[in-house]
Amino acid sequence: MKNMKKLSTLLMGVVISAAAIGVAHAGSKVPPLVPLGDPPIPVDNKMSDAKTKLGKMLFWDPRLGGDASTACVTCHEPDQGWGFADALSRGYPGTVHWRNSQTVINSAYLKKQFWAGSAASNEKQAPSAAKGAVAGNGENDVMEARLAFIPEYRALFKEVFGTEWPLIADAWKAIAAFERTLIVKDTPVDKYLAGDKKALSAQQVRGMKLFNGKANCISCHNGALASDQKYYNLGVPTVERWNDDGLAQVTFRYEIYAKGVTQELYRKLKDDPGFYFRSKEKTDMGKFRTAPLRYTKFTAPYMHNGAFWDLKEVVEFYNAGGGQNDFTDGTISKNKTPLLKPLGLSEKEVDDLVAFLEGFSGEELRVEAPKLPDYAPLPNPATN
Amino acid sequence: MKVISYKKRITTALFAGLIGSTMLSGAIVAGENGHGPVKMIKVDAKKAALGKRLFFDVKLSGDSAISCATCHQPDKAFTDGLALSKAYPGSKGFRNTPTLMNAAVRKNWFHDGRIGTNLNDVTREMITEDYIMNMDMRMMQERIKQDPVYVKMFKEAGYGEPSNGSVRKAIPEFLKTLTSRNSDFDKGTMSAAAKRGYGLFNGKANCASCHSGANFTNDKPYNRGVPENPEIWADPMRHMTYVAFGTFMGIENIMNIRRDVGAHILTHKADGSDVGKFTTPTLRELKYTAPYMHNGMFKSLFEVVSFYNQGGGQDKNKDPNMKPLGLTFGEQQDLVAFLEALSGDVLNTGAHVWKDKIPSNYAAIKNWRAVKN
Ligand code: HEC
Ligand code: HEC
Ligand code: HEC
Ligand code: HEC
Repeated sequence: MKNMKKLSTLLMGVVISAAAIGVAHAGSKVPPLVPLGDPPIPVDNKMSDAKTKLGKMLFWDPRLGGDASTACVTCHEPDQGWGFADALSRGYPGTVHWRNSQTVINSAYLKKQFWAGSAASNEKQAPSAAKGAVAGNGENDVMEARLAFIPEYRALFKEVFGTEWPLIADAWKAIAAFERTLIVKDTPVDKYLAGDKKALSAQQVRGMKLFNGKANCISCHNGALASDQKYYNLGVPTVERWNDDGLAQVTFRYEIYAKGVTQELYRKLKDDPGFYFRSKEKTDMGKFRTAPLRYTKFTAPYMHNGAFWDLKEVVEFYNAGGGQNDFTDGTISKNKTPLLKPLGLSEKEVDDLVAFLEGFSGEELRVEAPKLPDYAPLPNPATN
Repeated sequence: MKVISYKKRITTALFAGLIGSTMLSGAIVAGENGHGPVKMIKVDAKKAALGKRLFFDVKLSGDSAISCATCHQPDKAFTDGLALSKAYPGSKGFRNTPTLMNAAVRKNWFHDGRIGTNLNDVTREMITEDYIMNMDMRMMQERIKQDPVYVKMFKEAGYGEPSNGSVRKAIPEFLKTLTSRNSDFDKGTMSAAAKRGYGLFNGKANCASCHSGANFTNDKPYNRGVPENPEIWADPMRHMTYVAFGTFMGIENIMNIRRDVGAHILTHKADGSDVGKFTTPTLRELKYTAPYMHNGMFKSLFEVVSFYNQGGGQDKNKDPNMKPLGLTFGEQQDLVAFLEALSGDVLNTGAHVWKDKIPSNYAAIKNWRAVKN
C-alpha cells in the first residue's frame, strides 16, 4: 500500500511536467512532439547495476512461470522488436494469446501499460504477465520457491534487496529496473526536434508536416512518446483468425469471462472491448491506448490485434478515415472516435508519412542473452 | 485380552469362510473389525462416463501436458509406480501417489488428510494446485466448451452447458466407480497362508486397530516412524515444490525444515508432537501400488511387514503403541500373503478407462460470429 501511494504521486509528477510542455487543454491544443528524455525512476525502486543484471536474467528465465517454459523474452524477443512477430502473440503452451505482443522498449515511460492500460507501472505489469493463464501461468509461491534454489539468485537478491531469501515482489522490481534500461531515444526524430535539421530527410520532413497538420496524427500521437496515453476506438477491424481457429476462440471466451463482463455480453461479444474492461462504460468499448510510435519500425504487425502488417497499411487505414468493428457499426455499440476522418492523402503523401514514422525508430536495440544459473540443493541449515 | 478374543472369533470366521468358499461363492461375510467387501456405489452412468473422459484428458492441465491418469494409472490401481510422484512440468512431486480405489468411501483425503469434505473439493485441488495440474478453471471451462463431444456429454448428463462446477461433479462420479472387487479375501478364496496372515492381522500383529473397515483404514493419522525420503531434500525440484506447498500451508520455518511434517499442517501443535503423522492408507490393491508409504520408502510388502515387526522406525513422535511384534519369518510371510489377498480386479477395461482418442487440438466453432458464446 505504501509503495503504491508513493508511486502514484510520482506518476502525478510526470503528468504535470508533460502537461507543462504543451498547452494540453480540453482538446483544443495538444502538446507538440518533443525529444524523449530519461525515463522516470520510482523512488522506491532505484536503479543499480546489480539490480538490472538480475532483472535481465529474470526477464530471460522461464522458471518465472508455470511450467518453466515461457519467459518474458519468449514473447518479447529482441530480434522481433522486443515483441512477438505475429498478429496475436504466442501464448503459454496449450494456448494462444488474444492480443498482439507489445514491445517493451520504452515501456518505462508509460503511465498505463498494456493495450487497454490495465497496469500502472512496470512493477505492476510484470506479475500479471508472469501469472496470466495465456502468458506465464505461474503462481507466486512456486516461482518464489524456485528462486530460492538458485544460489546465484540468492546472492544477487541478497546484494540488491538485502533479504535472506528472494521475494517474488523483488523479482518484479528487478525486472522493472531492467526494463528501464531498454530505452531507445536519440532517434532521427529526436535529433531533428533537438535542432539537428539534417537528421531527417526532405521526405521525412514533409511527412512530419502532414503528421502535425493535414493527417492530424498529432491530435493523439503527441508529446515525447508520440502518445497522449488516452483511449480511442479507431474502428480497427476484428481478428479474422477468431473465425476459424478453435484455440483462438477458446482464449477469446476465456479473456472476456476472466476479465468479467455480464452474462449477456459474454454471450454476444465477438471482438475485444478493450478499455471497457476497466471503465465498464459502454461508451469505452473498443477503445485502446494510443500506441507510442517509437521503435515501430521493428514491431510489426501493428495495433492491439496485429491487424496491419506494415506501416503503410496503417497509414492507408487512417487515410480512409479509420475502419469499422463491432463497437463502431452498432453490432454492440457505436463508439468510433470523431477525430478520424478520411484524410485525402495522395499516394506520395502516404509514403512521406511512412518515411517520417520510420524516423521514430533509430537503431535496433540488441543485447546479449544472459547465462542462466542452475538449481542446486539447499545447504543443510545450521540448526534443524 | 483383546488379542485372545480376536483369535477365537477368527477361527470361527475362517471356518465359516471355508464353508463359504464352497457353498456361497461370492462374499465373505464374516470379516473382523468391519472388514468385508467394499459396497459398490450407485452412480449416474452418464455423469460417470463424462467424468471418465475428463479424467483421461490432458486439456485439464494448464499447459495441456498431463491428465489425472498421468499419475493415477489404471494398470497400477490408479497409482504411478514411483516412490515420489511426478508433478506439473517445472516441478517434481514430494509424495507417493495414492490409489484411487475406494477413494469415494474415505472420510478425508491426501496423505495428511488436509481435505475432509468431499471429492468435489479434492478434484478442485488436483486441478488447480500449482504443482499438480496448475489449471485456471476458467480456461478449463472454455476449453471444454470448444469440444463438441463434451458439449453433448454434459448436456446428456443433465449438466447443461459445460462449466467448471459440473467438472467437479462428474469426476467424483467417475471416482465412485473405482470400487475394489473380486479379491480372494472378498471371494472367500484365500490361501491357507493368507488365512493365517489374517489371523495375525487381527491378532498378534494388531494391524486391524488402524486398518479396519471395508476399506482397511480408519482414515486417521499416526506417526509410524517411516524414514524420510532423502530424495526430497537432495533434488532441488522436489524440495522447492515442498517449500511452495509448505509456504502456502503456513509451515513455520519452512526454509530450514528437512522433513515432510504431514498432518501437522492441520493441527499446528506448538510442541511439534504432531509432526510426521500421516493418514492410514487403504490396504486394498497393494499388489499394484508399490512402492509404499506416503513417501514410497518401501519397495515391497515384505519390507513393510518387517518394518512393523521391528516396531517401526526412529522418530521422537512415533506412536508409543508401536512395539516390536515378535513375528517369525513365516508369520511375516503369512501376513504378506494376506495383504496380497486384498488385491482384486485391475480396472483397466473400457468400463473404467476412456479408450477413444481425445483430440488435443480444438476444432473451430463454425459460423463463429453468428453463434452465441
Ligand atoms: C505469452 C506471451 C507473453 C509473455 C510470456 C509475456 N508477455 Fe508481455 N505482453 C504480451 C502481450 C500479448 C502483451 C499485450 C497484452 C495486453 O495488452 O493485454 C504484453 C504486454 C507487455 C507490456 C506492456 C507494454 C506496453 O506498451 O504497455 C510489458 C511491459 C510486458 N508485456 C512485459 C513483460 C514481462 C516483464 C514479462 C515476464 C514477466 C512478459 N511481458 C511476459 C505477451 C507476453
Ligand atoms: C484519435 C486518436 C488517433 C489519431 C488521430 C491517430 N492515431 Fe494512431 N493510434 C491511435 C490508437 C488508439 C492506436 C492503437 C489502436 C489499437 O491498438 O487498436 C494507434 C495506433 C497507431 C499505430 C500502431 C502502433 C503499434 O505499435 O501497433 C500507428 C503506426 C499509428 N497509430 C500511426 C498513426 C498515424 C500515422 C496517424 C495519423 C495519420 C495516427 N496514428 C492518428 C490513436 C490515434
Ligand atoms: C502430477 C501427479 C498427479 C496428477 C496429475 C493428479 N494427481 Fe491425484 N494425487 C497425486 C498425489 C501425489 C496425491 C497425494 C497428495 C498428498 O498427499 O499431498 C494425490 C491424491 C489424490 C486423491 C486423494 C486420494 C486419497 O486417498 O487421499 C484423489 C481423489 C486424487 N488425487 C484424484 C485426482 C484427480 C481426479 C486428478 C485429475 C483431476 C488427479 N488426482 C491428478 C498425484 C496426482
Ligand atoms: C496405529 C495405526 C496403524 C497400525 C496399528 C498399523 N498401521 Fe499400517 N499404516 C498406518 C499408517 C498411518 C500408514 C501410513 C504411514 C506413512 O505413510 O507414513 C500405514 C501404512 C501401511 C502400509 C502401506 C500402504 C501403502 O499403500 O503405502 C501397509 C502395507 C501397512 N500399513 C500394513 C500394516 C500392517 C501389516 C500392520 C500390522 C503389522 C499395520 N499396518 C499396522 C497405520 C497403522
